[in-house]
Amino acid sequence: MYDFDWSSVPNALPFLWDGMKISLEITVSAVLFGIVWGTLLALMRLSSVRFLSWFAAGYVNLFRAVPLVMVLLWFFLIVPHLLESIFGFPRGTDMRLSSAIAGFALFEAAYYSEIIRAGIQSVPKGQMAAASALGMTYGQAMRLVVLPQAFRNMVPLLLTQGIILFQDTSLVYVSALADFFGAAYKVGDRDGRLVELLLFAGAVYFVICFTASRIVRHYQSKLRTA
Amino acid sequence: MITMNKVSKHYGAFQVLSDCTTQVHKGEVIVVCGPSGSGKSTLIKCVNGLEPFQSGEIIVNGVSVGDPKTDLSKLRSTVGMVFQNFELFPHMSIIDNLAIAQIKVLHRGQEQAHEKGFKLLDRVGLRAQAQKYPGQLSGGQQQRVAIARALAMDPICMLFDEPTSALDPEMVNEVLDVMTELAQEGMTMMCVTHEMGFAKRVASRVIFMDQGRIVEDDSKEAFFERARSERAQQFLAKILHH
Repeated sequence: MYDFDWSSVPNALPFLWDGMKISLEITVSAVLFGIVWGTLLALMRLSSVRFLSWFAAGYVNLFRAVPLVMVLLWFFLIVPHLLESIFGFPRGTDMRLSSAIAGFALFEAAYYSEIIRAGIQSVPKGQMAAASALGMTYGQAMRLVVLPQAFRNMVPLLLTQGIILFQDTSLVYVSALADFFGAAYKVGDRDGRLVELLLFAGAVYFVICFTASRIVRHYQSKLRTA
Repeated sequence: MITMNKVSKHYGAFQVLSDCTTQVHKGEVIVVCGPSGSGKSTLIKCVNGLEPFQSGEIIVNGVSVGDPKTDLSKLRSTVGMVFQNFELFPHMSIIDNLAIAQIKVLHRGQEQAHEKGFKLLDRVGLRAQAQKYPGQLSGGQQQRVAIARALAMDPICMLFDEPTSALDPEMVNEVLDVMTELAQEGMTMMCVTHEMGFAKRVASRVIFMDQGRIVEDDSKEAFFERARSERAQQFLAKILHH
């Protein structure tokens, strides 16, 4: 029988907390950027300008057809060199965090844009007609009338996607970035207590994600009765 | 005020409107009727450019609707429109529904827009509902709010697209009363409706459409007493004898 020894967990807590901060930072920035870029992609996809809708469709299909971990590796391996040569950063600047955030954001935007596109299409066409009939421009009608209703319907889905994104941040371990999962792995590896640390990390992920999805569920049922 | 000259529209091979020609003068109330699918809703949606058309021209207050150089948003802000399904903005309170376009399109101040909104709500008898949301109102109330919302823009004319078709029978009259009052005040109106009682009361002219064509365009007396086309006679026989 395996002999559990949890003693290295308490000492590692400050280090793990630093990792958690990185995980949360990636999640929050990728969600925010993903929603903004995803909204723009959705509007392009629905646009009557051929080139824009083709571009958006191509973008979404590309990112949805490749594994996330591969996108992260591209960004880890290629983008820093690119930035170094474009902006003349000194060689070896640590850009793992920013390239991880960029990778997640661009990848998630593809998923967000599909959620948002469905949300926009869920708003009855007459709303756009009514806003236009009052003299609003396309942009005003979208911003003031269609998008607020679309987002209201979409909040649960957007949050759920955010929870998935939080779990997926563990994939940044491929760039040796010490996010929460990476930090747990490092400590476990150092102390020879990998099983305990990974079980602990798993429990933390579970508590956070389960709680968050219960909150989303609660919000969803409130939305339905409203 | 509104001139249509040989307006035609088709979706692929399907002809929705063929050579529709008519005029609406200032202060006139035109009732547009006809069997479903005859193109009457499409026709009035062409007036404010909500539906594009392929040939012919529509001039509203001196501005050509089909001209690509026309600022359609600006034109629409001067033409009020009321829809079959009300289309109030469900995420805004009633007073905000009335104020939003005044503020964002006409650049009125919030206070002025609200004042105007309250005045119009008074007029349609719904001042007490100002802070509620559209979902809390009955269909008839929502349609009256929609009329007030259009009036808040001080339109030069009003378009009604089957404003009572989605209403329960007991709510039809409250909406027709508001429209009748508006007509009697001299508002230029174009109404797609099956309410022949309304047509008899206030219409200056009746347009009857069938298969995308304007078949009759005559004074209401002439239309109801001696409709010339067989199609219009059949239509009247069907809807008047119930």
